[in-house]
Amino acid sequence: MKPFNKNGWPALLLLLYFCPAPDAVAQEPGFKPTFMNMTEVGLSLGRVTSGNQWAQTTQNRTSFTAQTFNGIRLRPRLAVGGTVGIDWYLASLLMPVSAGLRYDIAVQSKKGVGLFFSLDAGYGFTWLHRDLPNYRTSGGLYVSPGVGLRLGQPNRGNFVLSFSYKRQESAVSKPLDNFYVRRDENRVYNRITFRMGIAF
Amino acid sequence: MRPNFLLILLLLPLVCLTACNDTCRETRTYRQYTPVTFTAEQIRNGVKQDAPRALVNPGKIYTKDGYLLINEIKEGIHLIDNRDPTNPRPVAFIHIPGNGDMAIRNNILYVDSYMDLVALDISSLTDIKEVNRVQNVFPNGQFDGGWWSFNQSTSLLSDQRARYVTETVETNCEDGMVTRQNSCPNCMFLDFANRSSSAAPAPNTNGVGGSMARFTLYDNYLYTVGQQDMQLFDIRTPAEPRQGERINLGWGIETVFPYKDKLFIGSTTGMMIYDNTNPAKPVRMSVFQHARVCDPVVVHDNIAYVTLRSGTNCGGNLNQLDVVDIKDLYNPKLLKSYPMQNPHGLGVDFPNLFICEGQSGLKSLDARNALDVKQLEHMSGMNAYDVIPMGTSAGSKHLLMIGKDGLYQYDYTNPQQLRLLSKIAVNRPF
Repeated sequence: MKPFNKNGWPALLLLLYFCPAPDAVAQEPGFKPTFMNMTEVGLSLGRVTSGNQWAQTTQNRTSFTAQTFNGIRLRPRLAVGGTVGIDWYLASLLMPVSAGLRYDIAVQSKKGVGLFFSLDAGYGFTWLHRDLPNYRTSGGLYVSPGVGLRLGQPNRGNFVLSFSYKRQESAVSKPLDNFYVRRDENRVYNRITFRMGIAF
Repeated sequence: MRPNFLLILLLLPLVCLTACNDTCRETRTYRQYTPVTFTAEQIRNGVKQDAPRALVNPGKIYTKDGYLLINEIKEGIHLIDNRDPTNPRPVAFIHIPGNGDMAIRNNILYVDSYMDLVALDISSLTDIKEVNRVQNVFPNGQFDGGWWSFNQSTSLLSDQRARYVTETVETNCEDGMVTRQNSCPNCMFLDFANRSSSAAPAPNTNGVGGSMARFTLYDNYLYTVGQQDMQLFDIRTPAEPRQGERINLGWGIETVFPYKDKLFIGSTTGMMIYDNTNPAKPVRMSVFQHARVCDPVVVHDNIAYVTLRSGTNCGGNLNQLDVVDIKDLYNPKLLKSYPMQNPHGLGVDFPNLFICEGQSGLKSLDARNALDVKQLEHMSGMNAYDVIPMGTSAGSKHLLMIGKDGLYQYDYTNPQQLRLLSKIAVNRPF
């Protein structure tokens, strides 16, 4: 039940290990850092199982997500910058602000399809969220690795399709009454997101 | 495309396959009640003085002559020497079964002990002793949401012992989308400034109660409100309380406070005004509709300060301070509303007004002009619940504030910068 402790982190580390290494020697002569933007909207999909040992229910979760990455292309294949997004979860509206990188695993040929890797890690804020009376929602850590396809000509505006994993933590303290003297909920959203957008 | 990148593509779904379930776990603590039965003798023999002990579940506070009394719900009273507010010293713990309220006249401390009213002589703090007891005056009551009742014919008392249970459950991550109608967590606390001392004739000296009092002193009488009626005690001779009039008030009675020659009784359904020109027999005048019961109120002269707080079953979705003109008690007029965060108890020592904002801390305000109440300071970092400004003593102004984590004392000589004098920590069981 704790994905990141089991398989998640090693996989992520492997990704980071593989990505920059082959590119270290690929610095093209005459390359100048350029601005890069990648703006995407899409859906994040998940499931939730709740209840006690006697009665459990599983429900699907689909929520809307949007994000924009703005960064500097430091190398021909690698862009580093920041990502700001909005995630409309059912009970909370979170705004992840994170450091991000985009790495072109395979640069598209003249009219082809390119493959890129993306990684965003930061903190989801509750700036836009409005709590109901006596609820207190707080944000939490956020990480999202993924891969995507670039469609279009290289070094031009591209159409982007991407697929990523997203882990967002959050916490809620809930209203108390004569019966409950403490009610605190820790939330971990584990989602797959499918997004599309543009990049230039 | 190099082969190791294909490997990455294979690894990514691995992350997702193990992952794509939202996990939301709620850790919650609730009270579990177990029925217990006591005989009347067990309760009546239970009053004794003990060594000081730590605060665990504090209830009402009361103060007189530099001493601070803090009720330990259902257990007794912590007696604290607070003549030096920077260094409050616990003096004793008076063990009183079923105690929730108290009032002091001269050297006599009146307390409830389940069904009885007990008078204790506190002239010597090292030897507090029971001097009198009026038996079987309170038929039932509740502590911490658990009800007790006394059966006179069998002399048995049925009570419920609260135990705190913590559990973790998996939730569907959706709580917080619909407002739940809670039972009113703050309904017990109708915060009228309970300054009965000014109303009592000399040379008797009374203490000052907190804002949640069910006991109050006026003239020669001790007024106690139960769940459905008001019981008067004649305390012409303080050491010998005698049972007086019993007045049926209706269900859900919560607090009583005297204001001028009126008695204000707070209940879950409204606010009743009793004419107290004859203190032996208060007469019902009217029901004061303006203040709902979850709304703590303090009064200074003809101005009432009312806080409205959202998130309770008393309705309303406002967090604000209302300043109300109550010159005509039958026709209160709203003067102005000020937005607040989550106001709980409040206290007034004109022109200073203090408002507890729950988790958002404590606010010090200047209420000199009812139409322009100004915020002077906002202290955060503690959970503020109820506040009593004690007024001037020994050249400094002294404020008592109770929160979930302790009893704080402040000096508000400079209301723009409150100075923390001391803190008595609370060891909550949860």
